[in-house]
Amino acid sequence: MHIIGVYNIKGGVGKTATAVNLAYLAARQGYRTLIWDLDPQAAATFYFRIQPKVKGSKNKLIAGKLDLDKVVKATDFENLDMLPADFSYRNMDLRLEVAKKPTKQLLSLLRPLSHAYDYVFLDCPPSISLVSENIFRAAEGLLLPMIPTTLSLRTYKQLLDFLDGHRITGLEIMPFFSMVDRRKRMHLDVMESLQASSSELLQAQIPYASDVEKMGIHRMPVEAFAPRSFAASAYQALWMDVQERLR
Amino acid sequence: MALNAISYLLPDGLDLGGFKKILAESNHISEDAPVTTKQTYYDSFDWRVWQAGGELVHGLDQPNQLCWMDRKNFSCVACQRVDANPEFADDMPEGPLADRLTAVLAMRVLMPKVNVIQKKHTLRILDSEEKTVVRVVLENNRYTAIRGKQKGDLEGRIVLKPLKGYEDQFIKFKHQLAALKLRPAEQSLYEDALVGIGQKPGDYSSKLNYRLDPDAPADATARQIMIGLLNTLEANISGTKANLDSEFLHDLRVATRRTRSAMSQIKGVFDPQQLEPFKQGFGWIGKVTGETRDLDVYLLHYPSFRAGLPKVLQDDLDPFYTFLQQHHKKAQAELVKKINSPHFRKTLKSWRNWLQSSPEKSTQAPNASRATAQLADQRISKLYKRVLKNGSTIGPDSPAEQLHDLRKQCKKLRYLMGFFQSLYPKPAIREPIKALKIILDNLGEFQDLEVQAQSLEDFGDQMLKEGAPASSLMAMGILVGQLLEKQIQAREAFVELFTGFSSESNQQAFRKLFGGA
Repeated sequence: MHIIGVYNIKGGVGKTATAVNLAYLAARQGYRTLIWDLDPQAAATFYFRIQPKVKGSKNKLIAGKLDLDKVVKATDFENLDMLPADFSYRNMDLRLEVAKKPTKQLLSLLRPLSHAYDYVFLDCPPSISLVSENIFRAAEGLLLPMIPTTLSLRTYKQLLDFLDGHRITGLEIMPFFSMVDRRKRMHLDVMESLQASSSELLQAQIPYASDVEKMGIHRMPVEAFAPRSFAASAYQALWMDVQERLR
Repeated sequence: MALNAISYLLPDGLDLGGFKKILAESNHISEDAPVTTKQTYYDSFDWRVWQAGGELVHGLDQPNQLCWMDRKNFSCVACQRVDANPEFADDMPEGPLADRLTAVLAMRVLMPKVNVIQKKHTLRILDSEEKTVVRVVLENNRYTAIRGKQKGDLEGRIVLKPLKGYEDQFIKFKHQLAALKLRPAEQSLYEDALVGIGQKPGDYSSKLNYRLDPDAPADATARQIMIGLLNTLEANISGTKANLDSEFLHDLRVATRRTRSAMSQIKGVFDPQQLEPFKQGFGWIGKVTGETRDLDVYLLHYPSFRAGLPKVLQDDLDPFYTFLQQHHKKAQAELVKKINSPHFRKTLKSWRNWLQSSPEKSTQAPNASRATAQLADQRISKLYKRVLKNGSTIGPDSPAEQLHDLRKQCKKLRYLMGFFQSLYPKPAIREPIKALKIILDNLGEFQDLEVQAQSLEDFGDQMLKEGAPASSLMAMGILVGQLLEKQIQAREAFVELFTGFSSESNQQAFRKLFGGA
């Protein structure tokens, strides 16, 4: 089972769209795939038309008593299941603080599912917190969507410092550019500077495209309603890059 | 609560349009574009997946996916992506399906059994968020044979597929459909398709499984047994020639040995003069198939040979593997020539003709018209007594030859009990067969290890001539030592095992079943 986190300290960078579209592509390839919406805003859950409610999540989740398999919902797509978001996730940090081994709770919850799924995508809430540290420790790869602005570069460096400071090793960091607007000079400049300095950067880029925004209207992955769009092929390229990196 | 899909047969007079109309009356539904897929079902030649309660299907929901479906509830137990046609479990990428197949198939290769071409119309039952909560699939299915031109339509099906997390909605929908009085499909699609091409799952097994009439004359019964063995032998010829896996040749050889044993052990039912040429013919088949089988055995054992060596020496054994492969290739080519030879074909053909010809009434054979059950009792108890007598004279210092002879007798006894087992109550005969198997395993191990050690030395000599490195020969020397060590252990275990076999309670069980004082 490969666990892939999709994360950024900042919100609104195309994180959920990435998790939803890549999970869909993995499932379509025949891999048994699970997407876990850890963000209490429940955007990924909304995209799959699932109710943002997890029975027992408030008290049992962090106590390790929740059987994840029992709260999994099938999406409308073959091989793709979801652990929906729940509003109680907003307090997950507080609950983690008082738990035993607070940084490894997520991993131990996922372990029983290791034979049921080939890929697990974690759609993470923005911010650096105990929740995100759990994600870093559970995941094999961390996808970092970044809008090509100077501020994004700063948050990227903040994250690297955090991982370094918390001795989180063995995590494959995969930054890539998201919501790219090639008409903007600054986007091109920022991309050029990072491409020159970062060996971790994935080649694929996700454009700023109305088809991605339309996911909210169709409530499904881009590939499912606009398979020949520019955005759909961008996500395909990204998924190929990710598989290549995790091989 | 995990629910399973339910299949119904599509009733006459109900088509997609009609069915949709009925569903739309009380459900919010949507429809996917129709999809046509090809599914190929796989199993080993001897149906091991089926026997283990499964169906193995390639391309069920995804074109490159291989799924093990549980036969009881048609649910997917393990699924895996495969990029090539599945063959040996060992060659598959690691995963839960590969684990399951390795345990079930062992050395057997997977073979495509039948194709199903499926046109699917999927209807979705939606909730208020337009989320799918139940899938309803209307299937039009056609079967096509893997080889040959057989094809045809199968009955249409309506399949209800539950979605994880939406079990309540599934149950509600199922109740709603009850009004239509749909007929549940009793067989899986796979079984239907096999019927189409005239096959039945499990229609081949190398096991002895005769239904005998206890009162039938013994010569007719002997013919029945021998025809069964000939069928098994012939069923394995093409797989042996193509070397699909090592088990084809193995089963062919076992059928040959059993035939020879039946000729000599079901005594006095045929004219010995008529039997003589066939005895020779099957003796010849046993001989010409021997070398390839021996090499098969070493190739099968190779991984454990290698793993048994200290890690630093394991690579040294590689030239031995190459040697085995090269010689196997040669032996296999020779074997194919022999199987294609007129002598081989004629032997089997004239044997079948002879078995199927009506028995001569004027036969001189003393047991020909005796009741089968009577002869079976007599032969089994006689051989059993001989085994008991000879086994009890074997002590720690007896020569190896004596154990080899005992093994031959035990094997003959085992075959006789196998041929005639349907004449005895099933639970009662199980115990004596089990008791005999323990002794046979021990004697088999003792002899096989000796033969293997000897062969390894011979192979070593040959490899030396062919220029193998000294390191390989040394590694093989260690193996020979290990084999002989194990052989000594088998030898030491014999006396105790035989004491168990010949215990008073076992003897009583034998006597009760087969008679004899």
